[in-house]
Amino acid sequence: MSGRASGMSGRAARGFWGEAWDRYRRKPLAVAALAFVCLLAAVAVFAPAIAGTKPVLCRYKGRLHAPCLGYFDRRLEPAIFAQDKFRGSYPQNLREKDPDSWAIWPLVFQDPHRAVRENEWPGRPANPAQDAGRPNRLNLFGTDQYGVDVFAKMVHGTTIALLVGVVSMGLAGTIGIVVGALGGYFGGWVDMLTSRITEIVMCVPTLVLILAVIAIVDKPSIWKTMAIIGATGWTGIARLTRAEFLRLKSCEFVTAARATGAGPLRIMLRHILPNALAPVLVPITFGIASAILTESALSFLGFGPPPPAASWGSLLNDARANLSMWWLVVFPGTAIFLTVLAYNLVGEALQEVTDPRLRESRK
Amino acid sequence: MASYLLRRLLLGGLTLVAITFIVYGLARNMPGTPLTVQLGETDPSRKLNPEDQERMRRIYGLDRPWPEGYVRWLGSVFRGDLGRSFSRKQPVITLIGERIGPTFLVSGTAFLLTWLMGVPLGLYASARSGRLDERASSLLLYVLYSFPTFVAALFLQVVFAVWLRDTRWELPLFGMSDLPADAGWLARAVDIARHAILPITCQTYVSLAYDSRFIKANMEEAVRQDYVRTARAKGAGPWRVLFHHAFRNTLIPLVTLLGLSLPGLIGGSVIIEQIFTWPGMGRLFFESIRERDYPTIMGLTLMFSVLTLVGQLLADMLYCLVDPRVSVS
Repeated sequence: MSGRASGMSGRAARGFWGEAWDRYRRKPLAVAALAFVCLLAAVAVFAPAIAGTKPVLCRYKGRLHAPCLGYFDRRLEPAIFAQDKFRGSYPQNLREKDPDSWAIWPLVFQDPHRAVRENEWPGRPANPAQDAGRPNRLNLFGTDQYGVDVFAKMVHGTTIALLVGVVSMGLAGTIGIVVGALGGYFGGWVDMLTSRITEIVMCVPTLVLILAVIAIVDKPSIWKTMAIIGATGWTGIARLTRAEFLRLKSCEFVTAARATGAGPLRIMLRHILPNALAPVLVPITFGIASAILTESALSFLGFGPPPPAASWGSLLNDARANLSMWWLVVFPGTAIFLTVLAYNLVGEALQEVTDPRLRESRK
Repeated sequence: MASYLLRRLLLGGLTLVAITFIVYGLARNMPGTPLTVQLGETDPSRKLNPEDQERMRRIYGLDRPWPEGYVRWLGSVFRGDLGRSFSRKQPVITLIGERIGPTFLVSGTAFLLTWLMGVPLGLYASARSGRLDERASSLLLYVLYSFPTFVAALFLQVVFAVWLRDTRWELPLFGMSDLPADAGWLARAVDIARHAILPITCQTYVSLAYDSRFIKANMEEAVRQDYVRTARAKGAGPWRVLFHHAFRNTLIPLVTLLGLSLPGLIGGSVIIEQIFTWPGMGRLFFESIRERDYPTIMGLTLMFSVLTLVGQLLADMLYCLVDPRVSVS
């Protein structure tokens, strides 16, 4: 310990967010939830390396390729494999067409879009189809009626779940903060207008709005669903931001900033927003949970992303026709539940560690 | 008071017009019309020929631009007419009347159960605050609160309709009744009750978790107040303090919550009714969107929005009533 560090009263030097993190760390449940959220993010990013039938990295005809990127977007799959007529089946083709090739395979050799055939991976049987696909060593979470591996589907569904949460809440957060900041800062007729708009959007039944908008767009895609969830989910954030801006705009530091000649935009962005961020972050975290929930519910009702992409909700929707295959229900259902629970726990803890009023009440 | 009420009603009316205008615009711009969606989906050979379609479009008023259609719809609403359903050939008001009973059977029972269990649970939690049993039950309630209804519904279906099939605990998967209409009333009542158990369970547990957490949060706020300390100081017992002094002061936020639960009570839940094919309002709404049945969509939207606004207004009015410190102006 240097004399300097011990001289400063350690905690005061840490700043608001450092202190908040100190308090957060002392909540085991919240830390576990945060770890789970991070795990999900990792699964989402590395999904093709966790479960797939395309090599993560391979050397083919003297060059390195990463065909697994094709799971994110078909166009990312190197064209050479299409030219050489691989037809998605890599292990045998690699060996036959280039004996010198090598490949790093995903952890689990299963495809989210189709059943693995017999001997596709040397010595492995085909995936069981119909209702015979109970969870086993090769199919951790079982297979559906077409023989597609549920674990692989769920791993790739994680990407969708994460994207839905982040993209739609990014959009909702932006709209909500802008609308709330304008109304709260300027007041008067601006506030009147923004409050009215917020109220109207709040009153329109969300499901009507979402179903109607989804029905309007010609080609449904996961991106449009995210945009719609984001465009309807900002009202709570706007109201909170407005309240924070109303409270802060009459503070002395804002008056001081105005006295130094700062314009409204600068005051809003540089002076008020950083101070309003913590309370606004809480509904955004809860919003991620509810966005994931809304997307699953929509997919569950049959308004999900078009095949072959499958979100957790659409897995559940498929399972409804085969309720006797319990593994089709239990695993995706548990995944949705745990994800929503984790985000809610993180949001709750965030609220407790950043809100001084709540902190005192704990005593 | 009267001028406040008048202003709120006026504002509410404007909000209603805005909402219905948006929804009408959205509904009319969905791809497909009631004619094409209805007949084309079931049987391609039954698709109407172009002349018939044109004739039907004229009869239904679909040949006009949608803003004009909206004005017409609004006009007939002011005359007390919600129109006739395209796909069901019945007045919308009759359809709503048919569906309101089943929805209320589920949501009303769930509502009663929620409050009968939620208030004691919330009070219990605040009385035992910080103890092990309270922390365990609060965690359990929090877990339940995060449990999505449609996941819970599917899990319940797997357990009660598949795993327990052919045992005495088996519960029906779908619908409201399997018995013919001429069965005895007692048999029918038992049958409907058996069908309603799972939907009611699903609807109860979420609001139970939410409400009891809400009550506990408010109680925690209340027990720190000075009047509670005074009550304790004068020697009131712990339960008397909790009930008589603290709980009575948390009634105000509860009243707000009651007001806000009004739309759900009559509107039902789209997802739960859809999963259990329960013939209620939520399912009617979902079906009418799929069938592009504009009059039904609009009638239900109008009803939901009116209920939401009335619930908010009621909450605010009750608020003034129970708390003399709050005044409407």
